[in-house]
Amino acid sequence: MDTREMRIQIENIDTLPTIPSILRKLLAVIDKPKISINEIGSFIANDPVLTSRVLKVINSPMYGFPGRISSLNQALILLGLNVVRGMLLGVSVFEAMQKTMVGLWEHSLGCAIASRIIATKKGMKEPEEVSIAGLLHDIGKVVMGLKFPEEYSLAISDAQNGQTFMLDAEKKQFNISHADAGGWIAHKWNFPQNLVEPIEYHHKPHLSKVVPLQTAIVHVADLLTRAAGFGFAGDNFVPAVHPFAWELLNLSEGDLKEIVSELEDSFGQAGDFMLSDD
Amino acid sequence: MINPKTVVVISRDQVLISLISKFLKGLCQIVEFATLRASLDYMYSSSPDILLIDITYDDPAVVSLLNDLKSDPVLGNLSVFAVLGDAFVVPGWDYLLVDDYLKRSALETEIRSRIELSLQRAERAIEVNPLTGLPGNIQIIKQIQKRLNTGDKFAFAYADLDFFKPYNDRYGFSRGDEVLKMLGRLILNTVKERQPHGSFVGHIGGDDIVFIMDCDAAEEASGKIIGYFDSIIPTFYDIEERTKGFIEATDREGQKKVFPLISISIGIVSNARKRFAHYGEMAEVASEMKKFAKTVKGSCFRVDKRSRPLSDGMDVRINRA
Repeated sequence: MDTREMRIQIENIDTLPTIPSILRKLLAVIDKPKISINEIGSFIANDPVLTSRVLKVINSPMYGFPGRISSLNQALILLGLNVVRGMLLGVSVFEAMQKTMVGLWEHSLGCAIASRIIATKKGMKEPEEVSIAGLLHDIGKVVMGLKFPEEYSLAISDAQNGQTFMLDAEKKQFNISHADAGGWIAHKWNFPQNLVEPIEYHHKPHLSKVVPLQTAIVHVADLLTRAAGFGFAGDNFVPAVHPFAWELLNLSEGDLKEIVSELEDSFGQAGDFMLSDD
Repeated sequence: MINPKTVVVISRDQVLISLISKFLKGLCQIVEFATLRASLDYMYSSSPDILLIDITYDDPAVVSLLNDLKSDPVLGNLSVFAVLGDAFVVPGWDYLLVDDYLKRSALETEIRSRIELSLQRAERAIEVNPLTGLPGNIQIIKQIQKRLNTGDKFAFAYADLDFFKPYNDRYGFSRGDEVLKMLGRLILNTVKERQPHGSFVGHIGGDDIVFIMDCDAAEEASGKIIGYFDSIIPTFYDIEERTKGFIEATDREGQKKVFPLISISIGIVSNARKRFAHYGEMAEVASEMKKFAKTVKGSCFRVDKRSRPLSDGMDVRINRA
């Protein structure tokens, strides 16, 4: 399939499925008669697919301010409880590749937490928005796994057996990477630039024009999450840090240690709750 | 019936007119004319609810006159029914601008309920602001007057934006509209989350939005609206200006000036402490309180607590200095 055709197919995706453990908990959340926006928000914030769904709806032209909202809490306030509830009722689950996806969910959650920790450390005004970018950075993998499950499984086993990076295995299989696919869908769904760029350039942070700092943070958070061993991103390697991001963030070894140790603490609580089966 | 609905019936056919009068008896008042031309004077001066016109055969002159009538915004609320001869096939509904039709043979069984439904539909339809989808002035007045008449205690809040004009000047009207759409949505959701029943949100126009809530709920909701608004509004600026926290725009005298980011001011008034007989009185005090809130830098709300003079006894709750 050529790249153009692939892009059309990916852009036609309307909704993404989540993983079974999330769906079970989700139904319990929706059924609570007196749930607050904050409660729903803290649940959604742990799932890349639910978060992307909320952001897609609030940034759609129907609400009249496309490409403006990158904060999950703001999106929920502007959508309102009824819309959010209704939207969550339609969520489905992956039928294939469930195990891979659970690993990817863990990785995404870890990257979200690491992004938030680094953003706070760097004194950024809105660490939550950087955390969302971290949560969504691998949304392209979800997209490709959904649309081309067989080929994507091949790429994963390729990366495993051939001992290569997932990025290279994807390029070999599809001619594009998950970062391209994620960028396409993020554009298509009118996500703001401070989400599009980290998704599209988290492997090439030097290409980010509008939000280089956020993109660099997500890049480093991605690597730290892999290094710390949270979840599964498709391969068993930790790629080298891009010098652009490294210089921009200027983190000391002490900083890194603190970040990883904070990541371990936070991930324990969030990950257990979201990904356990009960 | 206090306010009888009026249906204008146009036909040269006396039998048809008397049939229609019989079927609609007691539902509405009927005014008959032989031709559309003869009815025009009445149509434009009396604003009837429904026009029922007999188009047994295709008559281009009548159709053209009818279409002109229907496209005049003054008669926007007029609902037009065509009574079509059973043999008449309409070439397309852009040829004949009507809201509904009845076949002559179906008059006896259909006409009463169709006209009744149309009258009810018109009652339900309310004017909404095209930007926010919120109800407009007529509904706002109705909602307030209804509560004043029943004597229910309620709070009426009047919100508008500070430094909205420089934003429009700097980014253009369509970006300004984005802010208003966000504002409408934000206020509606916050009000409905705090008080799902018995509350009301309306859009007066421009950046003026009002809401009605229970007295205690209004202050809490206003505080939340302010907090949410201040957190969301920076994303409506370009990144550079968002970071700086101000914009440069040209003021009314053509001078370049620095303006802060948009903030929101809310004035709240309630009939718990004061008696209001009329909507206008209440709106005036709410607007006064909003102006008072506007004198404070940043977003804030002010509640009218006067049984004393304006400068005294005010709620001094400053959200952001």
